[in-house]
Amino acid sequence: MTEAGLDSPAEQLLVQLGRHFRKGEVSDDLRTLHQIGGRDADSFYRDRWSHDKVVRSTHGVNCTGGCSWKVYVKDGIITWESQQTDYPTVGPDSPEYEPRGCPRGAAFSWYTYSPTRVRYPYVRGTLLRLFREAKARNGDDPVLAWGEIVGTPALASQYKKARGKGGFVRATWDEAIEIASAAHVHTIKTWGPDRVAGFSPIPAMSMVSHAAGARFYTLIGAPLLSFYDWYADLPVASPQVFGDQTDVPESGDWWNASYLMLWGSNVPVTRTPDAHWMTEARYSGQKVVVCSPDYSDATKFADEWLAPAPGTDGALAMAMGHVILREFFVDRTTEPFADYCKRFTDLPFLVTLEEQDGRTVPGRFLTAADLGETSEHSEFKTVLLDAAGEAVVPNGSLGFRFGQQGEGSWNLELGDTDPLLTLYGGTASAEVALPRFDAPDGSGSVIVRGVPTCEVAGHRVTTVFDLLLASYGVDREGLPGTWPTGYDDPSSPGTPAWQAEITGVPADKAERIGREFAQNSLDSGGRSMIIMGAGTNHYFHSDTIYRAFLALTTLTGCQGKNGGGWAHYVGQEKVRPLTGHAQVAMSADWARPPRQMIGTAYWYLATGQWRYDSFRADAFSSPTGKQRFAGMTTVDVLAQSARLGWMPSYPTFNWNSLDLGDAVKASGQKPGDFVADELAAGRLRFSCEDPDAPENFPRVLTVWRANLLGSSGKGNEYFLKHLLGAEHAVQGSEAEESQRPRDVTWREESPEGKLDLLLALDFRMTSTTLFADVVLPAATWYEKHDLNTTDMHPFVNAFTPAISPPWQTRTDFDIFHTLAKTFSQQAEEHLGVRTDLVASPLAHDTPDEMSLPHGQVIDWRADGTRPVPGVNFPKLAMVERDYPATAAKMAALGPLVDSLGATTKGLTFDLTGPVSYLKHKNGTVRGGVADGRPRLDRDTDMCEAILAMSGTTNGALAVQGFETLEKRTGTRLADLAREHEGKQITFADTQSRPTPVITSPEWSGSEQGGRRYSPFVINVERAKPWHTLTGRQHFFVEHDWMAELGEQLPVFRPPLDMHQLFAEPTIGSLGELGITVRYLTPHSKWSIHSEYQDNLFMLSLSRGGQTIWMSPQDAGKVGVGDNDWIEAVNRNGVVVARAIVSHRMPEGTVYMHHAQERTIDVPIAETSKKRGGIHNSLTRLLMKPTHLAGGYAQLSYAFNYLGPTGNQRDEVTMIRRRSQEVEY
Amino acid sequence: MTGREQLLWVVLPYLCLVTFIGGHVWRYRYDKFGWTTRSSQMYERRILRIASPLFHFGILAAIGGHVVGILVPKSWTESVGVSEGAYHVVALSLGAVAGVCTVVGMALLIYRRRTVGPVFSATTKNDKLMYVVLAATIVLGLVTTVLGNVTGHPHDYRETVAPYFRSIFWFSPDTARISEAPLGFQVHVEMAWLLFALWPFTRLVHVFSAPIGYLTRPYIVYRSREQRPARRGWEPVSRPDQRGR
Repeated sequence: MTEAGLDSPAEQLLVQLGRHFRKGEVSDDLRTLHQIGGRDADSFYRDRWSHDKVVRSTHGVNCTGGCSWKVYVKDGIITWESQQTDYPTVGPDSPEYEPRGCPRGAAFSWYTYSPTRVRYPYVRGTLLRLFREAKARNGDDPVLAWGEIVGTPALASQYKKARGKGGFVRATWDEAIEIASAAHVHTIKTWGPDRVAGFSPIPAMSMVSHAAGARFYTLIGAPLLSFYDWYADLPVASPQVFGDQTDVPESGDWWNASYLMLWGSNVPVTRTPDAHWMTEARYSGQKVVVCSPDYSDATKFADEWLAPAPGTDGALAMAMGHVILREFFVDRTTEPFADYCKRFTDLPFLVTLEEQDGRTVPGRFLTAADLGETSEHSEFKTVLLDAAGEAVVPNGSLGFRFGQQGEGSWNLELGDTDPLLTLYGGTASAEVALPRFDAPDGSGSVIVRGVPTCEVAGHRVTTVFDLLLASYGVDREGLPGTWPTGYDDPSSPGTPAWQAEITGVPADKAERIGREFAQNSLDSGGRSMIIMGAGTNHYFHSDTIYRAFLALTTLTGCQGKNGGGWAHYVGQEKVRPLTGHAQVAMSADWARPPRQMIGTAYWYLATGQWRYDSFRADAFSSPTGKQRFAGMTTVDVLAQSARLGWMPSYPTFNWNSLDLGDAVKASGQKPGDFVADELAAGRLRFSCEDPDAPENFPRVLTVWRANLLGSSGKGNEYFLKHLLGAEHAVQGSEAEESQRPRDVTWREESPEGKLDLLLALDFRMTSTTLFADVVLPAATWYEKHDLNTTDMHPFVNAFTPAISPPWQTRTDFDIFHTLAKTFSQQAEEHLGVRTDLVASPLAHDTPDEMSLPHGQVIDWRADGTRPVPGVNFPKLAMVERDYPATAAKMAALGPLVDSLGATTKGLTFDLTGPVSYLKHKNGTVRGGVADGRPRLDRDTDMCEAILAMSGTTNGALAVQGFETLEKRTGTRLADLAREHEGKQITFADTQSRPTPVITSPEWSGSEQGGRRYSPFVINVERAKPWHTLTGRQHFFVEHDWMAELGEQLPVFRPPLDMHQLFAEPTIGSLGELGITVRYLTPHSKWSIHSEYQDNLFMLSLSRGGQTIWMSPQDAGKVGVGDNDWIEAVNRNGVVVARAIVSHRMPEGTVYMHHAQERTIDVPIAETSKKRGGIHNSLTRLLMKPTHLAGGYAQLSYAFNYLGPTGNQRDEVTMIRRRSQEVEY
Repeated sequence: MTGREQLLWVVLPYLCLVTFIGGHVWRYRYDKFGWTTRSSQMYERRILRIASPLFHFGILAAIGGHVVGILVPKSWTESVGVSEGAYHVVALSLGAVAGVCTVVGMALLIYRRRTVGPVFSATTKNDKLMYVVLAATIVLGLVTTVLGNVTGHPHDYRETVAPYFRSIFWFSPDTARISEAPLGFQVHVEMAWLLFALWPFTRLVHVFSAPIGYLTRPYIVYRSREQRPARRGWEPVSRPDQRGR
């Protein structure tokens, strides 16, 4: 044993020497020195972790994270943030939610004091000067002053042309609000309330901030613009298949999946705080398959990587479906799958076959009315055959949902009925003409395949299942038609070999993964899951891609099972306290209905993009269609959808809706009669039929909690040109005469600078605030009270101010109340009490769904008949607008919630209990219009109101809702919420800890007993119908327009061919402007939309500034090296960026990450000689006609439920190396 | 004494020295966490490994030479029997080695600093100024000495510069002596004064925190709190059962 000591004698000697010269005691072994004192430096690191306070807050950034954070304050300054770790446990046998958070969230506090922080109200100098001068000329009346400025083109053009060119000056709050308010009052008075609009997306990210503004706009009658469809995040397949919008599992449920596909979703990048569930689940044996055209970050976690060519995912999914149908349904019957499909899908239902142009095509669902039944709503009760071949009208279809007779039988109980999936084995069959669009240019042709048929009540019918087999090319002996010879037949749609030629994924791999997906579901009881997202959902034909995905999860019985089914994550959609939020945000307590507009159509018209849209609506028609769109352009289709009441349309008419209200009152007629007469006389027209007329376009727009121009504004250059009248770089020209609309008026002069006021509320300077006329400084997420929920976890999180809003900033809540007060004052003189004629579309989850049997288009204009509101025309309502009382109404919960209750997804809650609770919790108003009503004048009041009026956060309401629903379904449901009946979640609860929600009929999943949320669990386990025609999940979607496009059944449609449609060069070709490539805009690792991209920390972690990712092959062809400056040009605009040349990228495709801010490193472009554009400078809106279909069953309108998507993934661009000398 | 001499050889030196001393006090008190070498070893190691010791040992030897040559009066060395010739040979030979080491080391360091991207990125304006002054001082010193010897007219700075320098500390600057020195020496000295003035505000402060103590220190240090008088209201309270004991 050696003695303790130092390493070497020399060291020993030195220390022995040193011990005599230093203070303190050196130990005998010479290893330690003991000293007393000298600890002054401790205070440094002790002080580092001592704070004034640590506050719980979160981020409202539409990232779906919904992470709870500790925000640290020291000496009154926010220093940093760190992850909260007190999430309630998920339970045994599972990982936990905590900690949650990503580098972006951890960088947020930088914004509080950042150079781009908006600290004061700003008005563009030109406008401020004009306003002050005009006010002096108009006897100090701000409304008259505004009227003079916008009514005098010479004045208006001065400030409109200055947009985007800086020139902001500080204004006082009073003056900035006065200008904004005057613009509102003047516009309502002159043009009508529906010429004003509010845009604020994703309520779930900060519900109160959203509701504060939404409440103001709905109270004054201004439309709220939808965002989900506009963002192209809305999967149209969800309404088509489920009759529900984006009900998806929480990320904790990924743990329960044993087979997980990531399809167009880059989980580690876009769901960072949730990605751990995937990595953990792999340790419990989960197989992970990634489908992504590039070597995405998710790919490294994958056991298998499939790399289909961009936008061809539908073909791959069809091939997998082909294998599943063949091996699990036809070659053998797998009882669990067959049973699931019989009970929970429309597969056994009967569809008629019809003759058309000498061909047999799928017709429509057979209904009880066809059987001669005359019960209530028999036209909406679908029919199937039982095992004995007898026609049966099972419970649960739309016909049972509304009305007296259906009470107690809207359920999926089949009783003794064993539905027949297929008619195969009988004698009759028919050759059905089915469309195929698998040519590279997407053009349609016909393939004929046979289905077994029989006669029921004089109709030749087959089942949806038999049609599905035909569509997927799964043949059965003896059936006529063209069928593939096997999996290896590339010529016939549906097979693995067929998809290989389209996607590039090897046939055997597609076959094997499809088989594994189904086999795993069979073995595990439905625990196969597909996480899907924007990568596959932002294409023009994404609905077809998604329907092919959903076919996989539905056929294999995974929907409604924990660990299985679809998991579509895009934005932070889930407002868990849904009912409460809807009441306060839509002012449903004071006036109904609110105006809610489809965002895409709004921008399509307002930004003039329709004028450049040169393709015909019938470009996508199926050869099996009836030429319903012949001669029409997209805007004609939009106008038709509006006049039939399918989709909302604001501004609605070419009259001021207030004047229209007066006129109706004066006439003594019913609104419908008056409007019909005036339309017939030609005095009244729909605004969308002449969108460029001065009386028809929007005038005032407010953007808050959003960066419209920097993030979601597809066709950025068109926004700049037509909406704002600013400098732009539109490269293409308007549609030629022969390509112009049939029904919609074309004006030679297209207006520029339509908008009189763009008002932006933000805490940082963005691409939107730069173009705004008035910018109001908003509080950040660390400076206000609010609520936040997400799809990804079941907790309600609170925002709490760590500091008061600094400088002159205010919370959104305060800003809108300030605006409302000034507005109310100005309204005394200029507006008063008026009657507003509100037109609203036929709504989903209401009896409106039954206005159009079989979705057959009956156009009153074409027929020359008189339109009937609520049937083939929008519903019309006379709504009183007490404009001077706007502020008072905003600040109190109105009486309609007591008298009418609150309706969510067709279920009405009685809110008298919550209202009486809120009177005590918030106090009541004394005097005025809101005398005695619960107060809503503080942000915390609104938090309490939202929580009290929602089933997810008020147990008594959840139970009450289920009890109401039980009366309709006749099944047991209320026990799902009974465990929490006495629980009222308060705002204080959410501030103390992430608070789990209660199972509620507002949603379709169950959290009972701490279960992980998975959608449709209640439907599957409690036989509650889906909100569709059959009450089941649909493979066959019935509507004239669906038939017209040949999309009644899942079918593959390739990405749009921009060469053929818009004469862009073909992909891969080289020209003067460089190489032509597919241009995709997926999400970045270093930002959440545009947020964080300009954050110093994220700029340091990333390359910083605008970048475009290219493959080495493409870069090589045009001599581009890594980090070179490049210029991308197409007909829509110009972008200057640096190239990132990476092997991650496949040849022929480039990525420009979504929403890179124009405030960071954007030089002047060589092509346009103007500042280079942003990612959306190269995109443009293209609307798909079927997204405008409405008025029938699940294809009926609801806000953010259905509408045309603002898709942008089909675009191409030319890229070249530009001069490396850049100027700014 | 002309006004010019007064300015150059009296006012400026004292200003620089005051700045040198006051600057260090200030820096130590207000910027303790900024008292650093600002090491760039993290960014580049290969060149540094050779250049840094070369430079540092060279400059340490040069400083030693200055101590002997300037602080020690000529009379002292002569009294112990070191002739001017012997002194000169030793000083020149050792000085040349040290000087070459310093200059080569410094050249390498500057080359590295300019050409290695991360190192250059971590170079502040302050660093650049310091490099210029430091390099100028060193090069001037070397050039003057070498030129003198090469031309065969070595100047005996122990007659001019050294007495002047020492006289600064007696507070009766002997400007006449320094005025006799050749221009090269004069410029070198002025440069040195400037360097002293700059010193406390640059990374050069690390000279005073060279980790020599580590050589003789045990590697584990325990520090206990010193006894502090309790703050008012925080005096320890004895437990009831201990009362009256």
